[in-house]
Amino acid sequence: MSELQRFEVVADGDPEALLAAVAERAGLVAVASVAARRVFLDTPDGRLGATGTTLEIRTPVRGRKASTLLWTSVVSGDSLAAVELTVGADPPRFASDLPDASGSRRLADLIEMRALVAQAEVMSRLTTLVLLDGEGKTTVRVLLDHSTPLGRAPLPSVVELLPVRGYGREATALGELLAAQVTLRPLPLPLVDLARQALGSPAYLSSKLRLALDRNADAETAWRTVLVTLNATMTDNLEGTRTDADSEFLHDFRVAVRRTRSVLQEGVDVLAPDARDRWRGEFKWLGDITTPTRDADVHLLDLPALMATLPPERAADLSPLRDLLIDRQRRSHEQLVADLASDRYASLVEQWPDFLEGPWVETGPEANERGNLVAAQRLAKAWKRVVRDGRRIDEGSLAEALHDLRKDAKRLRYLLECFGSLLDPQQVAMAVKALKGLQDCLGEFQDTEVQAVALAGFADALLARGDVAAATLLAMGGVVEHLDDRGRTARHRFAERFATFDHPDIRRVFRRLIDIPEDTDG
Amino acid sequence: MKILATYNIKGGVGKTAAAVNLAHRAASEGHRVLVWDLDPQGAATFYFRVKPKVKGGGEALVQGRRELDRAIKGTDFDNLDLVPADFSYRNLDLLLDEAKKPLGRLGKLLAPLRGDYDYVFLDCPPSISLASEAVFRASDALIVPVVPTTLSARTFDQLEAFVADNPDVVKKLRILGFFSMVDARKRLHREQVEDLRSKWPELLSTQVPSATDVERMGVHRGPVAAFAPSSRSAKAFAALWTEITARL
Repeated sequence: MSELQRFEVVADGDPEALLAAVAERAGLVAVASVAARRVFLDTPDGRLGATGTTLEIRTPVRGRKASTLLWTSVVSGDSLAAVELTVGADPPRFASDLPDASGSRRLADLIEMRALVAQAEVMSRLTTLVLLDGEGKTTVRVLLDHSTPLGRAPLPSVVELLPVRGYGREATALGELLAAQVTLRPLPLPLVDLARQALGSPAYLSSKLRLALDRNADAETAWRTVLVTLNATMTDNLEGTRTDADSEFLHDFRVAVRRTRSVLQEGVDVLAPDARDRWRGEFKWLGDITTPTRDADVHLLDLPALMATLPPERAADLSPLRDLLIDRQRRSHEQLVADLASDRYASLVEQWPDFLEGPWVETGPEANERGNLVAAQRLAKAWKRVVRDGRRIDEGSLAEALHDLRKDAKRLRYLLECFGSLLDPQQVAMAVKALKGLQDCLGEFQDTEVQAVALAGFADALLARGDVAAATLLAMGGVVEHLDDRGRTARHRFAERFATFDHPDIRRVFRRLIDIPEDTDG
Repeated sequence: MKILATYNIKGGVGKTAAAVNLAHRAASEGHRVLVWDLDPQGAATFYFRVKPKVKGGGEALVQGRRELDRAIKGTDFDNLDLVPADFSYRNLDLLLDEAKKPLGRLGKLLAPLRGDYDYVFLDCPPSISLASEAVFRASDALIVPVVPTTLSARTFDQLEAFVADNPDVVKKLRILGFFSMVDARKRLHREQVEDLRSKWPELLSTQVPSATDVERMGVHRGPVAAFAPSSRSAKAFAALWTEITARL
């Protein structure tokens, strides 16, 4: 299928007149022109843009003011969803708010738990021109887009050539004609990115840790760099955590906290003992104050999937549970907001960057060693521990043994993620992939057990309230049964998953990662 | 992806008008829709202003030398594509007869498009033949226009009898009949509608009127809703589509 071609008008003068001349030369016919207010939406981590799509709410300036939600491919120009929104209704914020229409499901799958946030607002004049064949059939569409972000200068006028399926030759010919115009220059970005640039919008957040550490740097520098990066992630996600914009802000905030704790733990020979102990204590506290809200978020996020395990006619019986979870989430988030406003947190966020940026007068004995050697040592220790403890687990082992192994595996994962760029990236990717399979199994085993225990607690809470229907308790019992099944399946799969992780090929991968000759760059 | 075929053994009952207007309605609701004009007369292709030509003809498609995907043309409407008619479709029976497993052939050609479309409309030529049987096998439902006249009603009987007698051919097929080209001014039409409704209570309740709007599709070369959105016919097709989706 042909791809959309996008140009910007670069010449001085009236872009309308310039384009009218081009249109006349190309034989284009104007068929529609509309002035509209457009609000572009995306998730805070830019998921829609990352998949080559834009989502906008378009409201005509004149005439009928009904807004339309448009989801469009920026690659092909194809409409992926177009649905009229109810007049006066709030714009969709979460996947569950999307109107029931074709394409909504795919959009919802992409958004997942993230909120849709306005990225840019522009006023646009959109003119559509078409190229017709002898049958009067449209073979190519051309969209002229004159947009102005609110409170800013107009953006460059944009010309989009939208191919019609099956008429690639016509699109190619018109594209060549347009590309030959000195007034037009190919534009690699969609309009939303131009508008975001003009508005000075911040970069999209990323939950992926992107680190490129210097392999020749000493351990102190490596540890510092990782901790600074993790602190930036916490800062980026703090406001969204406070306002509860969506559950992923707190999730990413917590992951950064956990990684920070792990890096401090692994820095036993890099940081001074006093400083390390102090900050480990502070970040443990920070992790602890976020746990109740995250637990409540997880229960709410998992609820639709758990409801789906029940027969449809019984799913509604879980409504009182849902209400209880919403109430708990609200209360735990209020407490979290209060904790984040505390003196202890204020001094943490003030003093931690000072510590990271200031000189480390006292350090651990290996602070001046090469960072990759120290990281490899820590990795060796963590990997050997996972292998040793995993091999001890058999059918008769207690659940605690699996839970402890899950923690060990997580520690190994954090080491790979935080210090992987000091090591061989190909081997790191293979190690992470192998470890992920094991972690998924251990995570499923842990999560199902924790959820089942939590549900028992929720049942007690509902009973204590005295207004719970028997149907609700029965439905919760059904869910617990389902969780038990899933937990059993995960337990049975453990041996196979661990054997895959402990395979000689994977062991070789880890050996290559940890055996760094001292006289090379690693 | 649901595959719906507009079908009747008899010609001139409004099959193509149903395919074009229902497809347009579905697309305007945001669904991704493909119309495959299987009728060598190419009326649906004409309505969409597309040239009735498929490179390599029906033979290339049936023999698998050309993927259906490469024959698709975008129409002038969002989310609505067309596989145009080709005069070689007049030999579709022969071409299918020469193919391996002819009854499953259309379904096999459509299978790769499963992720691309929500609905596929097959606009079928009037007949009952190997090609029709291949359509029956591929489709989830037949949308059958019935003109309230004795002859048209007879063909609906024939279709029901065929479906009842050939469960191996039709498998999952549902029959969704509706009254088409109804002229409420004619007493005969009114009586027939009443009689046939009592005979076939499962018929869809929406009636598509006999209207000049539908005839004007040939002049405007487009679905009724594109040039007469408030017309009785456009509203009838919209209501019919709502009823069909509720039955699927």
